[in-house]
Amino acid sequence: MKGPIASGAILLVGIFVFIKFLLPLVTAPLPASLIYLYMALAFSGIMLYGTMSASSLESLMGPVFRFLSGEGQSGTGKMARLAVLVLFPLLVGWQTYTSLAPSDLPPGENRTIHPAPPGEFVGLANPYQNSPANINMGKGLYAAYCSPCHGANYDGKGPAAPGFNPPPANFSDPGTIAQLQESYLFWRIKKGGVGLPVEAMPWKSAMPRWEVELPDEFIWKIIMGEYDGAHQSPRTWEEED
Amino acid sequence: MLNRLRFLSTLIFVGISGILGSTVGFASDPPPADEVGASVSIRMYQVEGTLPADDPNSPQWASVPESEFNLAPQVHWPERIQEVTVKTVKVKGLHDGQNLAILVEYADPTEDPKDAAAIEFMVGDKKAHFAHGQPMLQVEGGPVNIWFWKNENGKALDMSAKGFKTLSTQEKQDVSATGAWADGSWKVVFTRALKTEDEQDVQIEPGEWRSVAFAFWDGALVSGVPKEKGSQKAVSSWWSIRAEPSADNSIFGWVIFCLALAAGFEMVVVRKLRKGQSA
Repeated sequence: MKGPIASGAILLVGIFVFIKFLLPLVTAPLPASLIYLYMALAFSGIMLYGTMSASSLESLMGPVFRFLSGEGQSGTGKMARLAVLVLFPLLVGWQTYTSLAPSDLPPGENRTIHPAPPGEFVGLANPYQNSPANINMGKGLYAAYCSPCHGANYDGKGPAAPGFNPPPANFSDPGTIAQLQESYLFWRIKKGGVGLPVEAMPWKSAMPRWEVELPDEFIWKIIMGEYDGAHQSPRTWEEED
Repeated sequence: MLNRLRFLSTLIFVGISGILGSTVGFASDPPPADEVGASVSIRMYQVEGTLPADDPNSPQWASVPESEFNLAPQVHWPERIQEVTVKTVKVKGLHDGQNLAILVEYADPTEDPKDAAAIEFMVGDKKAHFAHGQPMLQVEGGPVNIWFWKNENGKALDMSAKGFKTLSTQEKQDVSATGAWADGSWKVVFTRALKTEDEQDVQIEPGEWRSVAFAFWDGALVSGVPKEKGSQKAVSSWWSIRAEPSADNSIFGWVIFCLALAAGFEMVVVRKLRKGQSA
């Protein structure tokens, strides 16, 4: 190993270790394509530096060229050169194969679980008083209409749940209704799965369009019962003055 | 001499970058993982020779890998049902390049004339809601093709729907089905040509994924009426199905081409280097 080649290689390995393993300790890991880009930039930097003068070019590339040309080689050097010359086309062939071979995976499912609601359902307030009577009525309606899928315990584990993809929402999970406003739930219950925008894949949702069967009053009370039963509170945007 | 060396450096640099790019960079982002546990897709494997198209008990089915899907009571629209007999279904598929056969196998403790099974497909490019392709509010949906088998009829119906109350039997019947019940379990095999002339039908192109769903009815009589009928049934969500394509040998042509290209590149480099050194 001659000087410029060894230091170039050490520099490349060092940069790779830094962006691949050390950087993720302080921030999000970089995607592989970005790591490749950085490595390519570093490599071209080293090549630029090494080819600035005739002598630096000779000390950087000379050993490589003498190795590849095979002049005056014997023993291990000869075998290593042969191995490189054989392996390079094989690697190219393998890459060609892996990039052309058809994928066996079914279509992916990047489904948005809580898409943006239509404008008319933003910021609606529940017109019914948050009273024990209304909550109880809501819980009764929930038991009758919602619990077969969303579960008597508001955990998304109703008797009908195992058959559905996407699965029914688990309201006791802090990532579902606790993150949403009451008006959002009103939209989702009223319009059901068929009311979802394309990014939420409405064709897969079994959620009924309840406006066909239930009056708005029932829906607002179900929302109250749901939050109370799941021990969650709706998200609000109002600021305390 | 210096220019030649510069040229060679660039050549090697470009070559190595290309190789690194495809190996290190773009190839190493892993594909999305399959859902763990339940199946998400059905593969209809290609067979040489005859398809076990009208025989659910053919020994040919034994070696075919199966997919299994959970079912739910139909609660999406009235009349609903809260409890259904068929809880899961095992599905296998085969094709011979012309015709396909899909075998569904599920537990049902009694054989009844009104026992029934159905397979539903999206038709065309538009997404269809799994409940009979009912209209969606923000997305323009497409129709569905339903293959319906009922024990007492002993045959399949080729049907279409796009929304509630639109289910109708097609003029052109392309599907056949055979059921066999034994030991508390139904095996029903549906068969059809991969492609038909009917635009209401799903067209199966080997290698391409289609969306598929299932429904089952337990026709056992309770107080004189079937336990499950009409919209009271066990249903599945949409899953993916495809007829496996035959091996594509053109890939190997490309592999050999690129391999030869790389070897040629090496020869050029080595020859230029040798010329350079002897000069």
